[in-house]
Amino acid sequence: MKRVTVLLMLCIAFFYSCEKDDFCTKNPVTPMLVLRFYDTDARNTLKNAKYLSVWADGKDTLSGYQSVTKDSIAIPLNSLASETIYHFKINTLEGDIANNLIETFTIQYTPEHEFVSRSCGYRIIFNEVTFNTDNTWVQDFTPFTLTTIDNQTAAHVKIYH
Amino acid sequence: MLKYIISFLFLLIFTHGFSQEKDTAIPAVENDSIVYKTAYGLRLGFDISKPIIGAVSNTYTGYELVGDYRVSKNFYIAAEIGFEEATSIEDYTNSTSKGTYLRTGFNYNNFENWLDMNNEIFTGFRYGLGIFDQTLNNYTPNVNNTYFPSQSIDTSISESGLMAHWTEFMFGIKVETLKNLFVSASVSYKILISVNDPRNFKSLYAPGFNRIFESRTGFGFNYTVSYLLPFSEK
Repeated sequence: MKRVTVLLMLCIAFFYSCEKDDFCTKNPVTPMLVLRFYDTDARNTLKNAKYLSVWADGKDTLSGYQSVTKDSIAIPLNSLASETIYHFKINTLEGDIANNLIETFTIQYTPEHEFVSRSCGYRIIFNEVTFNTDNTWVQDFTPFTLTTIDNQTAAHVKIYH
Repeated sequence: MLKYIISFLFLLIFTHGFSQEKDTAIPAVENDSIVYKTAYGLRLGFDISKPIIGAVSNTYTGYELVGDYRVSKNFYIAAEIGFEEATSIEDYTNSTSKGTYLRTGFNYNNFENWLDMNNEIFTGFRYGLGIFDQTLNNYTPNVNNTYFPSQSIDTSISESGLMAHWTEFMFGIKVETLKNLFVSASVSYKILISVNDPRNFKSLYAPGFNRIFESRTGFGFNYTVSYLLPFSEK
């Protein structure tokens, strides 16, 4: 009888100690918008955006995106609005303010709250997404619309410059 | 004449034979005159831990009535009926489950009592059914960034008529403290068979089952006081 009790206690300790839904291990829960920069003349070749800075309209520069040289970026969308306006600044020389090229990229969407799990809670997915730009340094991009952004495993938009 | 006498003698042989058999018969063992009887009947009680937890915690309210009926020496039919309301406070959601449940099954006593004692070390099995409502009180979408923080959404969303089915394996003890008054403690391992989830949400707690983990198993504890209404003694 004593042995059975000990065994039972061990079982309880084992099962009670850790459950996989105690911690949210899914990262990220809410997808970000992923953009990749391609060469407009050789459309399958990635091309860095030089001294790139990214900020949303009326906000500070997005941390990690201040004068960086990258061929791909992941940026958050505002879940409280149906539109996010981003500004992408590039240059050929660092700190050459006079020659800054600022692209204004607009994303419109319908946010939807989707339940994930006990520990992760709700996430936002973005439906009926449309993109617009003012073509300052971006020649072209694809696609112009997306039915949904619910993951960020692949680039959502290819930008040619 | 002689023929008849011989025949008569043969008859005597037989009677002799019968008397022999009677002499060698094993004498019947006398029964012990004292028989220890234990009471059979309906035992009714309630769970004492749930109201105490309810008084201490402000996220839980619960009551449970328990009963069992002794069918044979070691076999009891048992049932529990209860009400629970529990709030699950998670990192991104706050929800309340509220409802009633019924657990029915049996207990088997593995304990060999001395004399007329009526204690138990039992194992049991239950089928559980819970009918409940779950209300999502508020939630904050998990946007995992501080650049565009999310806001808490405080409009509560309710879904009623949710059902949970489960099975339980129990292990516990029962002690007769005063005449016909029993105190019991038990632990049960629960396995969920099925549960309804609210639309675009999940049942995080089912009354009677407790918290629903991803593994769909759980534990329950019972501390009960019950009184035996004896119907007969056997």
